[in-house]
Amino acid sequence: MDKNMLSLFQLCDSNFPTGAFSHSFGLESYIQADVVRDQKTFFEWLQVYVHEQLIYTDGLACRLVYDALLQEDLQQVWNLDRLLTVQNLPRETREGTQMIGDRMLKLSQSLYDFPVLSLYREQIKKKQSFAHPSIVFTMVAYGLEVSKPNAILYYLYSAVSSLVQNAVRAIPLGQTAGQLITHKFHPELQRAVEKIMQLPEDDFGIVSPGLELAQMQHERVNIRIFMS
Amino acid sequence: MTDWTGVLSLDLEDRKGKTVAKNVFFQGAFKVMRPVYHDDSGQVCYYLLNPGGGYLDGDRYSMKITADEGAKATLTTQSATKVYKTPKDHAYQETEIILKKGSYVEFLPDPLIAYENARYQQKNIIRMESGATFLYTDILTPGWSPSGERFTYDTIQLINEIYLDEKLAVFDHIKLTPAKQKMSGLGFMEGFTHLGSMIVVGEQTNNGLLDRLYERIEANESNMKFGLSKLAVPGFSIRVLANSTQVIERTFAECHRLISEEWFGLTPNSLRKY
Repeated sequence: MDKNMLSLFQLCDSNFPTGAFSHSFGLESYIQADVVRDQKTFFEWLQVYVHEQLIYTDGLACRLVYDALLQEDLQQVWNLDRLLTVQNLPRETREGTQMIGDRMLKLSQSLYDFPVLSLYREQIKKKQSFAHPSIVFTMVAYGLEVSKPNAILYYLYSAVSSLVQNAVRAIPLGQTAGQLITHKFHPELQRAVEKIMQLPEDDFGIVSPGLELAQMQHERVNIRIFMS
Repeated sequence: MTDWTGVLSLDLEDRKGKTVAKNVFFQGAFKVMRPVYHDDSGQVCYYLLNPGGGYLDGDRYSMKITADEGAKATLTTQSATKVYKTPKDHAYQETEIILKKGSYVEFLPDPLIAYENARYQQKNIIRMESGATFLYTDILTPGWSPSGERFTYDTIQLINEIYLDEKLAVFDHIKLTPAKQKMSGLGFMEGFTHLGSMIVVGEQTNNGLLDRLYERIEANESNMKFGLSKLAVPGFSIRVLANSTQVIERTFAECHRLISEEWFGLTPNSLRKY
């Protein structure tokens, strides 16, 4: 086990106030359409979301950012920040992700003095970068000397655990059902990391049409509990 | 060096309110027909065609179009792009469109039909100066197979990269591999068969326009699903899931008309295919 793992756990904790609890990334559209309505249908949605969208965006970004930090190639990090932002066509998920990234950066800066965090902040201030949680998370994981596959795994875990929390509130599901889903999802996360480690770089940003469409439709959902 | 199956280049400029080509070049299995002026706006329309009738194993197509300041053009195809089976190597097409300040290009290709075991990759690279306007649509059909079965192609990969003043502003990447994905399932085609995408980049985009587009689509079409959202730069994208090419074409034609009327005071002609 990597040393400093406990420090990274803090960023994965659902109490870590990044605002992720306000974003459903299109899940709420499916809940309102009654497509996602119970434990089984939510699990299906989560599988598609992780294996068909998240691995090609945030997941692959973790790997590429980690490599770029290793090679001290910051330009590549800033390129990925832009790519991650502009490939996110639905406005709410794009802006929501940016807000989460910004808050995660602010919190991380108050906990750690890794120089790359301040450089990222500078880029954002100059409007050269946007802020993305997968980039901030990887910067912290790298700074804490956590291995690359573990950095990816814990990033995915944190993304999934806040989605499960949101599903518990919105569908709604019982707390035990939520824990069962998280537990059942562990092998899926392992599989996602294995896939990410193998992905060709030019698979970056592949989106699944239905998921993306639901993320766009959320803008027109009238009564809502999530911002995306 | 790539050995191109077909190459096309077209440089357009504005001459006293009329858009004309200052350079037209094509070679191999790519052709452009005589320019057509649908009205007296000076906007030119070019029909691109593939004399071979379809894309075959390992075919490589390259197209480069430039629109100088003030040039206005419609680019479309003469018929659907058909990609036949590609046993050895995928078919590939790349398009680069360069738009100078104040120019307008609408790129409206016909639907893509991928046959059984076809692999196809398409890359559109758009380089715009601010003040230019770009409108793009594409339609993916479930393909064609002798048995009538849907989604029998191997892979379709479509990439759109739009740069505004040399900075990446839009990146759109769709890759469908039916053998590995539950095509009709949740998150993918959601029970539909056809996917349409529209991307518009233009400084005149505002929330009012998006609302009007939304209302118009909602009022006119049923039996489809769509999403509409603003880009990170002035502009928007639309995704449509439907069960026929016609529903998507009608939806995009409606949006195209609204934009042409509001932004250019023009009513677009239907693109007659000869």
